[in-house]
Amino acid sequence: MTAPTVDASGPYPDWDPLAQYPIDPPGSCNPHPRLAECRRNTPIARGQGWSDMGEAIEALELYRYDDVNAVLRDNETFSSSSIREGMSIVMGPYVLVGMDEPEHKRLRSLVAVPFRPKSLAHWEDELVVQVVDQMIDTFAPRGSAELVREFTFRYPVQVIAVVLGLPVEDHAQFHEWANAIINVSADPMHGIQCSKDLRGYLAEMLADRRRAPQDDFMSELAAAELDGEVLGDEEIFSFLRLLLPAGAETTYRATGNFLYGLLTNPEQLDRLRVDRFLMTQAVEEAIRWEPPLLITSRVATRDTEIHGEKIPAGMQVVPHVGSANRDETRWERADEYDLFRESKPMISFGSGVHMCLGMHLARLEMRVAVNRLLDRCANLRLDPEAVERDNPHIHGETFRSPTTLPVLFDVG
Amino acid sequence: MALRIEVDPEKCMGGGNCEFWAPKTFELGDDNISHVVDPEGDPEEKIVLAAQGCPTQAIAVWRDDERIA
Repeated sequence: MTAPTVDASGPYPDWDPLAQYPIDPPGSCNPHPRLAECRRNTPIARGQGWSDMGEAIEALELYRYDDVNAVLRDNETFSSSSIREGMSIVMGPYVLVGMDEPEHKRLRSLVAVPFRPKSLAHWEDELVVQVVDQMIDTFAPRGSAELVREFTFRYPVQVIAVVLGLPVEDHAQFHEWANAIINVSADPMHGIQCSKDLRGYLAEMLADRRRAPQDDFMSELAAAELDGEVLGDEEIFSFLRLLLPAGAETTYRATGNFLYGLLTNPEQLDRLRVDRFLMTQAVEEAIRWEPPLLITSRVATRDTEIHGEKIPAGMQVVPHVGSANRDETRWERADEYDLFRESKPMISFGSGVHMCLGMHLARLEMRVAVNRLLDRCANLRLDPEAVERDNPHIHGETFRSPTTLPVLFDVG
Repeated sequence: MALRIEVDPEKCMGGGNCEFWAPKTFELGDDNISHVVDPEGDPEEKIVLAAQGCPTQAIAVWRDDERIA
């Protein structure tokens, strides 16, 4: 494989991470104190959800680890179908996260092949490290950076673009399409148009790879086969469009939260800097402490109940994964980022048959990003003046990530 | 005495979570199902975490006749 090239044409100076996401407007408050109160006082509560048509509907909210885990594992009683309805306008009909069995298992097994830990090892050195290094090259001589705008926001999209095999001159266009699709609720017409454009672009590429396979992800999907089953073109287009919110958006936020956890706990960052064996648990703790997405959604397929609370068929159920991860009965001092904590299973990647397909890639990206930043940016630290001026903090009630990460480091 | 570890191929969905917790014990095969490659590959507590963390509860672990996960 030839060395990848990333589009390193500089940051997006006009891009405002808060204005971008209307779902979490500026002024949204930190939801964790409210979630803690719910875990204590109303762990199973009737609240208000939203239908795909934007109508208020009754929903059952779950806040404790065991309840959230139980609902996500019981995919027969709790269907993912409502997610599909909402996403198919920009992703096409085969939205993996919104499918139920048996069609879900067939599609997942086929697209899962390139996401296995062993398949990913192949990409790590050849691609991911090089993407990170080229991005760091753009600010390394300066001794300062704003890591959200110059690094985390663009990094996972670059990885996906490179792994898919997109030529570098198309990366900026790809990121533009990705943003419009991710933010379809802000501008539906634009999002739908970009989804169509991206589908057309991917169709040309897939036809090309079916003719002449290369060592890239698109070729792997085209060739994937299990028990005589193969992927249809539309299944591939749906899946690749799903990767944008599922793979790029979440990992951009998770990487930012990880960096925020380290930079605001400098004594832990110092230990990690000199002992990289801590990296795996440092990543796990970041994902537990501040998952990029706090909730998901299910619909009851039949009348059921949880701890005596009646749930009629058709009712929406909202498992609060971000709350489950701070369940005080499972983690002490759950609100603190503590990389020395012993890792144990948490719920950020979900649970049950829909557990995040990209979890191994996400962990790899977070690990490589921070390893290379620490290797190349000596004495990486928050910039106190910029902190004073810009008040960096993790923002959002649904999606969460830092508003800004102004850093200094030694150039030498 | 080694643990007895069983993966239910009907329940396993090939997520690879067990490989994350106990990489020397479990391995995803080309059939997209996890296989036990070495029941003593990792410390017992890691194998138990792998079973507890299995998203589809496909892994059972016994020590002697006692099921521990």
